[in-house]
Amino acid sequence: MADITSEASERSSRQVWRTAIGAAVALAIILTAPFYLDTYMTNVLIRALFLGVLALTVDLVWGYAGILTFGQSAFFGIGAYACALVFTHWGFGPGWAIAALLIGVLVAALTAWLVGLLSFYHGASPLYSSIMTLALPIVLVQIIFAGGRFTGSSSGLSGFPTYYWSIDTWFIIAGVLLVLVASVAWLFVRSDYGRILVAIRENEDRCAYLGIPVSRIKTGLFVACGAVGAIAGFGYAAFTNVVAPELGGFLLGTESLIWVALGGRGTLIGPILGAIGIDVTSSYLSGSLPFLWKFIVGVAFVVVIIVLPNGFASLATSGWRRYRMRGVEAGDVRHGPGITLVSTSGRRADAVDPTVAPIRIDGLTCRYGSLTVLDGITVEGRAGQLLSIVGPNGAGKTTLMRCISNGTERTGGQVAVAGHEIGRNSPQKIVGLGVGRSFQNTSLFDSLTVGDCLRLARFRIDGARSFVRSGTVALPEPALEILKATGLDQQLGLESRYLSHGMKRGLELAMVLATEPRVLLLDEPTAGLTKPERTAIGHVLTRLVAEYGLCVFLIEHDLDFVREISDRIVVLHQGKLLLDGTVDEVVSSDLVKAVYAGQDLEAAS
Amino acid sequence: MHGAAAQETVKIGIPVGLSGANSVVAPSVVQSSELAAEEINAAGGILGQQVELVVADDGSGAQGAQRAFDSLVFQSDVDVLISMETSAARNAGLPIVNRAGKPFIYTSFYEGRSCSPWMYVDAWVPEQQVMPIVDHFADNLSAKSFYLIGSDYDFGRGMLEFTRSYIEERGGKVLGEEYLPMDGSDWTAIISDLKSKNPDALITSTAGGAPNVTLTKQLRNAGVTIPYGNLAVDEGTAKNMGGDATGIFISQSYLTGIESPENQKFLAAMKAKFGDELKTPNDLSVPQYEAIYLYKAAVEKAGSTDPQAVVDALPEVSYTGPRGPIQMNKQHHTPLTMYMGQVTAEGGVEVIKTFDNVDPGEQCPNL
Amino acid sequence: MATLFLDILTTASMLFIVAAGLMIILGVMKLINFAHGAFLTVGGYAVHVVTDAGYNAWLTIPAAAAVGFLLGVVVERLVVRPLYSRPLDAILATWGLGIVIAQVIVFIFGREVQFAASPISGTAELLATTYSAWRLILVGAAVILGVLLTALLYLTRFGLNARAVIMNEDLARGLGIDSVRVRAMTFGLGAALACAAGALITPLLSVDPNMGLPWLVNSFMLVLVSGVAIPGLALASLLLGGAQVLVSTFVSPIIGGITIVVLAAVILRIKPQGLSRG
Repeated sequence: MADITSEASERSSRQVWRTAIGAAVALAIILTAPFYLDTYMTNVLIRALFLGVLALTVDLVWGYAGILTFGQSAFFGIGAYACALVFTHWGFGPGWAIAALLIGVLVAALTAWLVGLLSFYHGASPLYSSIMTLALPIVLVQIIFAGGRFTGSSSGLSGFPTYYWSIDTWFIIAGVLLVLVASVAWLFVRSDYGRILVAIRENEDRCAYLGIPVSRIKTGLFVACGAVGAIAGFGYAAFTNVVAPELGGFLLGTESLIWVALGGRGTLIGPILGAIGIDVTSSYLSGSLPFLWKFIVGVAFVVVIIVLPNGFASLATSGWRRYRMRGVEAGDVRHGPGITLVSTSGRRADAVDPTVAPIRIDGLTCRYGSLTVLDGITVEGRAGQLLSIVGPNGAGKTTLMRCISNGTERTGGQVAVAGHEIGRNSPQKIVGLGVGRSFQNTSLFDSLTVGDCLRLARFRIDGARSFVRSGTVALPEPALEILKATGLDQQLGLESRYLSHGMKRGLELAMVLATEPRVLLLDEPTAGLTKPERTAIGHVLTRLVAEYGLCVFLIEHDLDFVREISDRIVVLHQGKLLLDGTVDEVVSSDLVKAVYAGQDLEAAS
Repeated sequence: MHGAAAQETVKIGIPVGLSGANSVVAPSVVQSSELAAEEINAAGGILGQQVELVVADDGSGAQGAQRAFDSLVFQSDVDVLISMETSAARNAGLPIVNRAGKPFIYTSFYEGRSCSPWMYVDAWVPEQQVMPIVDHFADNLSAKSFYLIGSDYDFGRGMLEFTRSYIEERGGKVLGEEYLPMDGSDWTAIISDLKSKNPDALITSTAGGAPNVTLTKQLRNAGVTIPYGNLAVDEGTAKNMGGDATGIFISQSYLTGIESPENQKFLAAMKAKFGDELKTPNDLSVPQYEAIYLYKAAVEKAGSTDPQAVVDALPEVSYTGPRGPIQMNKQHHTPLTMYMGQVTAEGGVEVIKTFDNVDPGEQCPNL
Repeated sequence: MATLFLDILTTASMLFIVAAGLMIILGVMKLINFAHGAFLTVGGYAVHVVTDAGYNAWLTIPAAAAVGFLLGVVVERLVVRPLYSRPLDAILATWGLGIVIAQVIVFIFGREVQFAASPISGTAELLATTYSAWRLILVGAAVILGVLLTALLYLTRFGLNARAVIMNEDLARGLGIDSVRVRAMTFGLGAALACAAGALITPLLSVDPNMGLPWLVNSFMLVLVSGVAIPGLALASLLLGGAQVLVSTFVSPIIGGITIVVLAAVILRIKPQGLSRG
């Protein structure tokens, strides 16, 4: 045990050391640069460095978390205006400067939090979130205009008292800020949280169904990036001594997207270089060829989006990857950093009250417009029991699972998990109550390794580290068993896109089990599997129920499979519960035969 | 990094709004600058050195001005900045001018009270321009109530603030004072408010080119025909507005109809140089022409292009140009002859009254 | 009072005309065309070119539409088609395209503001008040446009195909409808409408390389709220446009500028499918 933990902490401290060395090198460059750069270049670079911080925040929000944000510039503008307004109207001095900085950061954070609340709720389409980030700078600029004389309106504020330090000093300040923010961000994206961001970007729904509080994480990230953006804006304003509405506007917001797209989203370094490179070149060309340059950038942007979506940095990274793979044969697939499995007893074992049903559904109804998909379903699941749900296509089976796992889906009726009403809760809260769900189409995270996926599944119970990557994953016995049964425990470093269909199913099941559910909802788990794989899954499910006391609801079409492993069967037909009984009762029922044969119900009975 | 070492040319930096609100008038400013440079070079240059113009686009706004000034001051290392710009651009450029210590002659009319030891202004301020129009409306057109419309930035607000206080001093009433951001183009709500309040006269002060045109177009489209004084339009823009501009009252320090020999010579030279491409010289481009000559005079008086020496010499030199004699000796501003006129249907301006030697008032008491 | 009513009506008409092209594209192709502002600008410059060459000002509208259609078909082929599966990236690419178009306009025409003659200037007497004649014409134009579009969608073969693709593209293809061609024609139509809209609003504004930009965000919000239906768009234009006029008149024109954006965001939060039924 001891060596596993020490190895993990050794790896994470190596990561920290590597980052620190990188930062030190960058700082050295910053400190010496003013000596060999001319005044104009230094001037231009200072502004570009502050904008680089802005680009960094955009990369975190868009490149890593997948939120297309037009509005990071709004936070930049808030920071800038905080500086200008305080210095112009109230006072100047070290105390005032700190106050202004705090005001800028707080207002930005508050705004980000409000926007996050409005935009990142469960079920919000990515388009809607983007629209909200689009509306933000537009509203902000109009507010600035409405400020009339106070905010300087269209002309902005300039000539306010500020620190007229030498250009070299400002260069160091801007450079240090950028290196600091970049280092922290670098460590962050390489930590557990970084993996979570990638997971959210790739498959937000799956994250919700693993109990990960997606909305809260997105909002938290947005707030943090907003605060950092405001700090950069503050510095920009203090240096340039001018603020104008453009600093918080939509055009700067889209420009920052262009920097990130061209530099390479999701790489941190790419966007920084993109921002600095494009900004500096614009300044140099603004005299001679301003419009040709804008044209070139515009064309490059369109081309990159279409042809090279990961930006120019992807050329560099794929080159690097080819270099690293040069000794490896074809067919050998890349493995990520190692991860170790640890067994845990699970917290839930003691908290179970045997008298309360793990799940109770009462009069569940689901209507879409005039179409009634589920009508008054009442059924109770019991611990240690596998209940199969069967019925012809369109009977409402998947809808039933959806209504159980997502509180907002149903139109009427109650669902109680271990005595707790699910009410109108979103999926992640219901996972918290103890419901685990697997999907008809395996839903995983392509670019994450098996180990990462499992780590993700443990988020709700074990949390995540912010600046280091955990080396171990603690899993309950059922999950460990599945991993051993499918051979996944030998493939922890493999990216999940390379798994076979059967292994993907196994991984998904393991992930769901890792959340330590009381109730397991499985939607056609054997679809697409070979006969031996099917048998294996059957054994696993039987053991889960018998040894670990889970309550399993299973949707299946393979009636033989159902007959073999079920304790109870429930038959759905046209949204109504037709029959709820033991295997023998259902199999021998004439009603069921008639339903499956498609005969008229009246004629059959 | 000053140009202390021998330079081949005297570099004049011209940041101007090639794009944005001022883009309508910028070409005329560039033209008059080019004529001045050509004439000076033909006559031997300044202190034997040729004049070189470096033009940069300030986007008619603060951010663009910052880049333009940075580029001119630090990259091109010009000897002086002479330019017509929006107040937003000027305010953004001033800190850079102050930091670098370059002489700066501001050639655009503006709202007044912008001060810097390095900046001189050879165009008019509200004290010189507003009063004739208000007096004419009140005394000759019996206007007792006024409505004010402007662009929401220093110029718009500054001019109308001055106008309002002058109107109220005279016993008139201001029924409404409304603003749109500088690049706003939808004046519908404001025009409807104007019509409902039914004032006797309208006075506007928008940013240079586009806002003037959109406002006037929309006013005429809405059937507004009360006396209309425009504090910010020049002859060239008025021509661009076509029939819509007929009847607008303006108060300027330059009109093409001025009959002095200097103006005739100037107009002939402009026509000869630019032919069909000529943009009508106006109250924004002529001060630019004169400023370049003023700079020449100051350098010759100081004996060098050293910024401090030039700045000390500027109030002491004068130049008689198309607008008459100009000397920036009143707290960095200059007394001017003002003409009040009305735009005719052909796009020209008919002069109604002339005011000689109008004092700019207390602009920069601390300089 | 009459003026306020006419203001609301004419503003709603302008918004409807400008947003119609964007809505068609969103409906059929499920993507937001961020080059819409640039197309509006192209329409404005078409007016400038046509009137400068001395032709009748009324010709500017069909001329703009023709230019728009051609431009739209080309853009769809080069930029939009490769991004059909990546709608967020399509927003970005069309935005970049808008930048490129604006720069091309600057290359050809220069960056200054231009002015174009309007087909009708002056005022008309209506409801006991004098009102801008051209603005009143725009109301008529909006109504005609709405009727024509509805006819196109419900009375023509193309319209039938388009509606099928809107509802379920895979199924439509399965039935033999060439959805690629439908999309190309739709984008062309949307672009043509945008350019024509630009031509229609030019008489009230000035023509410069960025004239379409302020309209982009407003039309975008309107289209989302409209739920991609012509009656929905008309309703959205009236409601939100009316709100904009009321706020501009009674509160401040500056706050009025964000009324549409804020209201749309709120409506979408409450009713994500917009104002159309179902």
